[in-house]
Amino acid sequence: MGAETSDLATVDRALGEQAQLPRDNGELVFEEPWQGRALGMGVVAIARSGASWSDFRRHLASAIATRGVAEGESAATAYYAAWLDALEALLAEQGLV
Amino acid sequence: MARSAGPVGVLPRAGVSDGHGHHHARPPSAVELRAQALEALLAERGLVSTDAIDAVVELYENDVGPQNGARVVARAWVDEAYRTRLLEDANAAIAELGFVGAEGDNMVVVANTPAVHNMVVCTLCSCYPWPVLGLPPTWYKSPPYRARAVSEPRAVLREFGVELDDEVEIRIWDSSAEVRYLVLPMRPPDTEGWSEERLAGIVTRDCMIGTGLPRALEPAGHGR
Repeated sequence: MGAETSDLATVDRALGEQAQLPRDNGELVFEEPWQGRALGMGVVAIARSGASWSDFRRHLASAIATRGVAEGESAATAYYAAWLDALEALLAEQGLV
Repeated sequence: MARSAGPVGVLPRAGVSDGHGHHHARPPSAVELRAQALEALLAERGLVSTDAIDAVVELYENDVGPQNGARVVARAWVDEAYRTRLLEDANAAIAELGFVGAEGDNMVVVANTPAVHNMVVCTLCSCYPWPVLGLPPTWYKSPPYRARAVSEPRAVLREFGVELDDEVEIRIWDSSAEVRYLVLPMRPPDTEGWSEERLAGIVTRDCMIGTGLPRALEPAGHGR
């Protein structure tokens, strides 16, 4: 609701089992810095825009399904590419982008 | 890329059509450029700032700790029915508190009793119930712990400051990618009437690995 960013446990809960963040034995997997920034910008933008995590999760699940994983692409790259799609769709829906 | 789209630029849906024959030059990849463009746009709209993003990333990379597990233990201490559910079906009982595990993870909770002390190791690598305990400590991943927890658990426990009577049986649980164990320690005496939150405050990570015991008083000086 406010500009307070969610903590990681909240994000994990909000994303649920279907769209959970890429991890390796608990540690978030960022193969390249842009992936961490994608996550960070989503968390910040969702907090500041007042958008809901459940709306974001809906967009993310659909982006993951639509996008799939390209050949030779890692799971984390595919995930965060879908994450960008979802973030854009969410903010567009809110009329912010 | 004949068409332009939107203010952000477009991610060419890379690699959908051609599976072979070309190799990649070094990035910045299309998706990386797209992430940068989106960040720039959101910054312009006041929806993000570099500092705020940095802060979140740093927090998230370090954030996970054993708080979730401590809440599970504290609940089991105050709620007998929850304790029963936890020991019967840990995944479901943990999910009741809103903690989501990794897909396919199967959690098993083992309870300490006056006669049995449980201790968890992953002899193969470092499998760990991270949704409730956060990231594993370095020693948990170290070859000496992984070997000695099995060969001489009593000595290892002593090094952690845990002295058990000789009659207490020590059970070692070997975590794997399929089954991850969490120790339910005994509630210390002298904690009657404590709130769940206060109880959670004395449940340390080591208690839930089995290399520590919860204490009602501040532990006197062994390091973490």
